[in-house]
Amino acid sequence: MLAFHNVRKAFRATVAVDGLSLEVRRGEVLGLLGPNGAGKTTSVNLAVGLLAPDQGRVEFAGGSPQQAAVRRRMGVAPQSLAIYDELTGEENVQFFARMHGLRGAPLRQRSAQAIALVGLDDRRRQRAGTYSGGMKRRLNLAAAIAHEPELLILDEPTAGVDPQSRNAIFENIVALRARGVTVIYTTHYMEEAERLCDRVAIVDRGRLLALDTVRGLVAAHGGHSRLHAVTERGEHTIEADDPVAELNRLQASERLLRFELERPSLEAVFLNLTGRTLRD
Amino acid sequence: MDAVLALALKDLRLLLRDRVGFFFTFFFPILYASFFGMIFSGQAGQRSAIRIHVVDHDATPESRRFVERLAAGDRLECAMVENEAAANDAVRRGRVAACLVLPRGFGARYAHPFARGLPEIELRIDPSRAAESGMLQGLLAGALFGSVQDLMTDPNALGAMVDQSLAELDQAGSQVDPLISGALRAFLPALRAFVERMPRGAGGGLAGAMEPKITITPIERQRFGPRNAYEISFPQGIVWGMLGCAAGFGIALVQERTRGTLMRLRISPVSPYQILAGKALACFLTTVLVAGLLLGFGYVVFGVRPGSWPLLSVAVLCAAVAFVGIMQLLSVLGRTEQAAGGIGWAILTVMAMLGGGMVPLFFMPTWMQQIGSISPVKWVVYALEGAIWRGFSPAEMLLPCGVLVAIGVVTFAIGVRAFSWSDAR
Ligand SMILES: Nc1ncnc2c1ncn2[C@@H]1O[C@H](COP(=O)(O)OP(=O)(O)OP(=O)(O)O)[C@@H](O)[C@H]1O
Ligand SMILES: [Mg+2]
Repeated sequence: MLAFHNVRKAFRATVAVDGLSLEVRRGEVLGLLGPNGAGKTTSVNLAVGLLAPDQGRVEFAGGSPQQAAVRRRMGVAPQSLAIYDELTGEENVQFFARMHGLRGAPLRQRSAQAIALVGLDDRRRQRAGTYSGGMKRRLNLAAAIAHEPELLILDEPTAGVDPQSRNAIFENIVALRARGVTVIYTTHYMEEAERLCDRVAIVDRGRLLALDTVRGLVAAHGGHSRLHAVTERGEHTIEADDPVAELNRLQASERLLRFELERPSLEAVFLNLTGRTLRD
Repeated sequence: MDAVLALALKDLRLLLRDRVGFFFTFFFPILYASFFGMIFSGQAGQRSAIRIHVVDHDATPESRRFVERLAAGDRLECAMVENEAAANDAVRRGRVAACLVLPRGFGARYAHPFARGLPEIELRIDPSRAAESGMLQGLLAGALFGSVQDLMTDPNALGAMVDQSLAELDQAGSQVDPLISGALRAFLPALRAFVERMPRGAGGGLAGAMEPKITITPIERQRFGPRNAYEISFPQGIVWGMLGCAAGFGIALVQERTRGTLMRLRISPVSPYQILAGKALACFLTTVLVAGLLLGFGYVVFGVRPGSWPLLSVAVLCAAVAFVGIMQLLSVLGRTEQAAGGIGWAILTVMAMLGGGMVPLFFMPTWMQQIGSISPVKWVVYALEGAIWRGFSPAEMLLPCGVLVAIGVVTFAIGVRAFSWSDAR
């Protein structure tokens, strides 16, 4: 439903997005995984029409996100918190919902639902300035979903958040996907991508390096699994594409006491693709 | 339009929640106008009573009645003092306008002006205070003749005086020049007979006959000055309120960008022009509100009475247009709130200084008043004063109001063009 066609965006000498092509499918949670400065936020800004591509084009629902009518169907929770500290949580959500064209009873009702979803019901009458970092993040999310967008774009929604709020946000995303909302989720935490995303796009230095399910990425780029086995005769560490076959082979000759299987992660995928770790 | 209104309401709400901003927008201008109005009032001494000291050497009921008569009305403020030297000193130091000395025997003469002649009094006054001296002499003469007037309007008192005068004449005997005593002996009984035939009671006596027939036709004097100091200080206060609005909303616009809410607004399906229009509307409404609040306060508390409410409304609206434009221009001056606020207030302060927002324009030399024309503040003050006390005609209002609208349109256009939407540094 959202497609990048060979999009390039540069800021003077810095090429933030370099020939990006990808298509987001309806109803999926797509992760954009990359280190700091990979071009995730720039991609988001291109997707919502805040930036115009230097080359290529971005398409959403048959139009360009630079058209207001097209943007009405999107919701964005920006990486930098974008809420008014002097307004209450409820006023923030209602205000942005109104900016998306909601009025009257539906405005109040859907704003209340959004606030309830992110678990801020009991604090909704208090000013956002009094919220904790995690609560502000949740409010930032609520302000993006009250108008019930088809496409929800979350730019690092868990930055600076305590584990409790983080879990709450994960549950919110799962709940939204269950309602059929398509989600783009940028992060540089691979655990989040592994846990939440149907597909993950790995980006670095403005380029798309790979795009697949986590399983597919690991299979294609993760390298070998690592098998640690302890038998009567001693310890073995074996790198293998098919660890089960290796286990069977071992057991045929020796008595197996215990074993541990280490499957490759997205971290390994990233390392193999770029020669660097994600946190470099 | 609905989105613009929602944006503006949001901004008004933010302003109300911000205590410091609220204070500087609404209360500071009122304090400013009240404070400077009071200071200027003290200096101008507009139509306040003349203060004099009275040294009463006579100290009789008659002399006291004279002073009472003198102090009646609101033109004179008489303070009785014992010490003549101290009273003279007060005149020398300018603390009072004059010192009035009533000699011994004043009361007796005052009560019987026909028998003993008008009483003598002495007025000691600073020669440089010519206007007050003239006014004082008039008031004194009025009070002195007051006793004569009393007699003429009261037949009983007049009769008693004639009898007493005749008795004194008899007592004096040969001491009085026979020619005069003869004349008085002929005149006084005749007066006595006349008095007896005078009608008694209210409106009686000679009063009716003596009352001058004067028809009063009011012709309003052309006013070429403010009625009171508040008519100067309130336009200035309004200017400060408007400057505060321009700075406040200019900074708020920068804040929207640095806090990321501007980006969120741009992602929503409202157009950039609606976003700026919302801010402009909020600034416009607040500006008009500040002006209305100050004028209302000035009207109720300090007796500011604008010459023309319709022209004043036009002046306020045009001034608001100018300041909305200035607000938009301020918002492009700095990337951060601090920078925009610092640069903005520096510019606004210079504008206020040049334009008569601090020292009233008519206190300034002509060349400075001319330089002031480059400041929007001058035109705001000029338009407001034009409607409040300068008595401008609609045609005369055209110039300042036209200049203000032009300033507003040009600065707004420049501000919108130069406005940066992204938070890129
Ligand atoms: N407005 C801008 N002006 C100049 N350079 C920019 C601008 N926005 C982004 N860049 C540059 O583009 C590159 C990509 O930045 P971007 O913010 O898209 O990365 P990101 O993946 O979102 O990083 P992070 O994980 O830190 O949020 C960076 O090198 C950044 O410095
Ligand atoms: Mg980012």
